[in-house]
Amino acid sequence: MIPDLTRAVGVPRLAGISYPLSRPLGNPHDSDGQRAVLRALLEVLPRATEPDTYVELPFVWPESPARARNASKDIPAAPIVELVTRKPWLLANLYSGRIPEHEDLLSAK
Amino acid sequence: MSIDSYRFLDFVSRQVMKAWAAREHAGVIPFTKLVKPLCECTVALVSTAGIARNDDRPFDQEGERRNPWWGDPSFRVIPLGTTESHVRLYHMHIDPRFGQADLDVVLPMRRLTELAQEGVVRQPAASHYSIMGYILEPDVLINETAPAIGEHMRAGGVDVAALVPA
Repeated sequence: MIPDLTRAVGVPRLAGISYPLSRPLGNPHDSDGQRAVLRALLEVLPRATEPDTYVELPFVWPESPARARNASKDIPAAPIVELVTRKPWLLANLYSGRIPEHEDLLSAK
Repeated sequence: MSIDSYRFLDFVSRQVMKAWAAREHAGVIPFTKLVKPLCECTVALVSTAGIARNDDRPFDQEGERRNPWWGDPSFRVIPLGTTESHVRLYHMHIDPRFGQADLDVVLPMRRLTELAQEGVVRQPAASHYSIMGYILEPDVLINETAPAIGEHMRAGGVDVAALVPA
């Protein structure tokens, strides 16, 4: 997933995994794979002795990143993506974390 | 760090996520040591996939459509035994079809039950939880939602919780 971002906000223990968004435990109906990931995640708990413990889980996603992204390319864009696509200058707000308060910047219409 | 956090993201999302990560300051990180073996622990799961049961209040997608800078900061309780046929995933920044096809992809309650049967943990909690993962301003999430979930867990005898981002 995105351990960079999770670790940056500060969590007691973190297990990083190189799986795509939307599928943190693995593919649907892959019970063995899902169970292995959950077991590895839970086993971080007794190993962690101090805050900011970070463990990288050794699982490898079975597809290329491009193929994993393609699997979801037909879902509708999130409202913020629609908004910055129509008003690209607002991307600067998103990038810099300046959440607009002015009404004109709020509406997706 | 050998995991590339951004390999599955498109270019723009990658740049935005990197910028947000670079701006964060972790501060003092709370930490409570596990005081008993994992095999004696009751475990709760928290998913950020925006899961709500069909008989519960949906996450507010309309509010986010009206103001795309806002995300619903509330939470839902997902009782153990809930399956994909009882829920909908409301997170609009992920592909909900995977979790909708098999809820264990995002909230692995059945896998947790199996691990309890194997003796890895004592038992799954009676209740699990979901929040919506797109929240740019996390004040309500931090100050209201997280404590409320913690209180609910404490009342349910939960020893440890695992947050599963979606």
